[in-house]
Amino acid sequence: MANDKTTDSAQGNTNDANARVQELIKFVKIKEKPVELTGHYEVPCIKPDSFIDVKPQLLSSVEQLQRLGYPTAGLIPDWKEVFLKKMDEILKKYRSVKLFLDICVRCGACTDKCHYFIGTADPRNMPVARAELMRKVYRRYFTWQGKLFGSKFVNGSDLSEELLAVWYTYFYQCSECRRCAVFCPYGIDTAEITMAAREILNSVGLVQKYMHEIIDKAQTIGNNLGMQQNAIVNALEFVQDELQETTEIPDIQVPIDVEGADVLFVTPSADFFASPHIESLYGYAKVFHQAGISWTMSTHASEGGNFGLFVHNYGHMKKINKRIWEAARDLKVKRVIGGECGHMWRVLSSYSNTMFGPFDWLDSRYPRPQHICEFTLDLLNRGALKIDKTANDEFVVTMHDSCQVARGLEMGGTEFGQFEIPRGVIRGVCNRFEDMPENTIRERTFCCGAGQGLLGDDMIATRVKGAIPRMQAYSYAKREKGVNFVALICAICKAQLSKMFPTYGIPMEEVGGIHQLVGRAIVLGAKEGI
Amino acid sequence: MTGITFIVNMYMSSIVYVGCAVFALGFIYKVYFEYYKTPQPLVIPQTPQPVTLSGVILRMAGDVLFFRSLSKGTTFLFITGWIFHFTFLMMIIRHLRYFIHPVPGLITALGNGAMFLSVVLLVSLILLVIRRFAEERTAYVTVLADYVVLFLIIGITMTGIMMRCEPFRPDIVAVNAFVLQLMDLKAPFKMLGMHPAELLHKGQALSPGDVIFMCHLSFVFFLLMYFPFSKLMHAAGYFFSPTRNMVNNPRDVRHVNPWDNS
Ligand code: SF4
Ligand code: SF4
Ligand code: SF4
Repeated sequence: MANDKTTDSAQGNTNDANARVQELIKFVKIKEKPVELTGHYEVPCIKPDSFIDVKPQLLSSVEQLQRLGYPTAGLIPDWKEVFLKKMDEILKKYRSVKLFLDICVRCGACTDKCHYFIGTADPRNMPVARAELMRKVYRRYFTWQGKLFGSKFVNGSDLSEELLAVWYTYFYQCSECRRCAVFCPYGIDTAEITMAAREILNSVGLVQKYMHEIIDKAQTIGNNLGMQQNAIVNALEFVQDELQETTEIPDIQVPIDVEGADVLFVTPSADFFASPHIESLYGYAKVFHQAGISWTMSTHASEGGNFGLFVHNYGHMKKINKRIWEAARDLKVKRVIGGECGHMWRVLSSYSNTMFGPFDWLDSRYPRPQHICEFTLDLLNRGALKIDKTANDEFVVTMHDSCQVARGLEMGGTEFGQFEIPRGVIRGVCNRFEDMPENTIRERTFCCGAGQGLLGDDMIATRVKGAIPRMQAYSYAKREKGVNFVALICAICKAQLSKMFPTYGIPMEEVGGIHQLVGRAIVLGAKEGI
Repeated sequence: MTGITFIVNMYMSSIVYVGCAVFALGFIYKVYFEYYKTPQPLVIPQTPQPVTLSGVILRMAGDVLFFRSLSKGTTFLFITGWIFHFTFLMMIIRHLRYFIHPVPGLITALGNGAMFLSVVLLVSLILLVIRRFAEERTAYVTVLADYVVLFLIIGITMTGIMMRCEPFRPDIVAVNAFVLQLMDLKAPFKMLGMHPAELLHKGQALSPGDVIFMCHLSFVFFLLMYFPFSKLMHAAGYFFSPTRNMVNNPRDVRHVNPWDNS
């Protein structure tokens, strides 16, 4: 059981439904063995229910649930009503969900595209089958045929505790990576349906722990790790000391809360000390230092990541994003730049403008938030950075396109910029670059296997299985092309792969950020300015 | 025999009117109230999404005309599916000859290949049916409704093909007259007054051709009536799909969320 308190109060209430659900979705630790790395992934034959036991833990901290605005004592007694009300609300607010529930023709084109299906062989992990879980409820309760003739007639599902359990299982075996939507003739984006389903589950009291704890921390404390302001200052001062020591340059800085700096830089808080993330932080600092651009980080907006994206609860995402907007205004910066993070980039670039409007007091040359890769490539192209590529000669580098970047928004104003720009940066600082197989990169990239709320330790089974296609593709590049380093631009990918690489027998040091490579190659010294 | 003819005529004309009405109203309701009116709060275009409107239109045209997205994933389904949609469209265009007078040259020209096209259509449909149960993963997600649609269209195609062969050839002149009468604005009111026009005015017993024609027509209108309430709405829904129809420029152009006005 995820938490004893929940069970106690549930039995105290004699809330049978809750007791049933708690029993059905109780967390069991499951170990999954990695597969052998052959360099190819195969689409498995279906094995029904093979992964039905893998469920994440529930959030049971009453204060956190209260702050998030969700029921605090497990499944609420009148859950069916609330469930349908929430679903109705989402159907009226999100055309994506409504349309995608309506128009799927079950053609099967997406069935072999999901890394979780490839990894687990559980047919409910086929994107269309995952969406059908919600579609069945939709057909039963939201079409007149279903209302009139019942669930048998429309091939629908009646609401039941079992259904909730299945939802909770499979909507937390989707990393909202959107790969399925690339191949769907109508662009049906299962991620949108997963986000909706998670919010519906939340509204009836089934709240996943890992992701919502983080959403709560980001809203109340300001970052995903829950670091207080002084802890952030300490961590960044430590980074600065390290930098000054290793580079022997006394004025290289990691500025915090500097009013009037040119650039507000936001990045996932993992970059402050997790490994290999921190290496990229050194890289950013060196780039800013060498470019001679004054920059600052903010203790108020100490987090770039925005887990609010992962559920269709607009409020969470907005509240977290607001901090960046406020920090940019309070620090009177001229530009906003985001570090290496997939979902941060999607929220900052695609949604921020909708939620808070343009950062219109910014420098008119840079009115929009920029990605650090756009920034660095621009400097490289202008020759503003002195680079010694041989510093990276020990590496043959490949790049993992993080899905939220790859299938999200343009970069550099062109539709394929998100592939070309990061690769441009890598090529600018490394001599040897090789791509992984064509069907596993660019817009067809496979997720690392732990995106969008599945990075918790309780999800390790899913993570091991979901990583299979990526691991196979990497091992192929390793074997055929001698690749020994994968460059990433997403904090979650970094965390996941640096755990999965050793699991699959590959050294952890082969995972790192793009700016880690930049940091190594950059020649510090007399500034040439820009 | 006039009794049967009367019932048949009543049935056929009412299915046409009811079918058209249900289709039109249902379709418009769905598209307007459910797709068009439902707001899309955030910008979620999907790579490779162009950054200009004209680019987006081109991409969508590629999807609609050549099934570009589908072609990336599954070759068999892409080819069979495309052939099915293409030949089906050709057959629909061919049928315009019953409604447009004089018949445009293009449609007459199509007539030469009509038989071939309809056989190809039938074959592609059968392949799609086989794929539905033979392909393990697709079979897993298939529901009865998927077969219903396929078999309805197979029924339409088969009766269509039959009508081109003796002894099932219906009287073309009569069919034409039937259509013309139906298109007459007063026809529904005549029906209300229970004075049906002599639609198939042979006066005598139904010929095999009439029966087949009746089936053909019934299947078509069953399909039309079913259309707005089924997955067939993908035909219109595609154009509203936010991963495909939004311009990939949210940093430059602010997308307003209609329900977030703070
Ligand atoms: S590819 Fe699209 S239409 Fe086909 S089954 Fe998957 S979601 Fe449905
Ligand atoms: S969004 Fe990604 S994880 Fe989710 S169903 Fe689609 S391919 Fe699988
Ligand atoms: S963690 Fe990385 S690879 Fe995984 S979903 Fe997020 S961006 Fe994609």
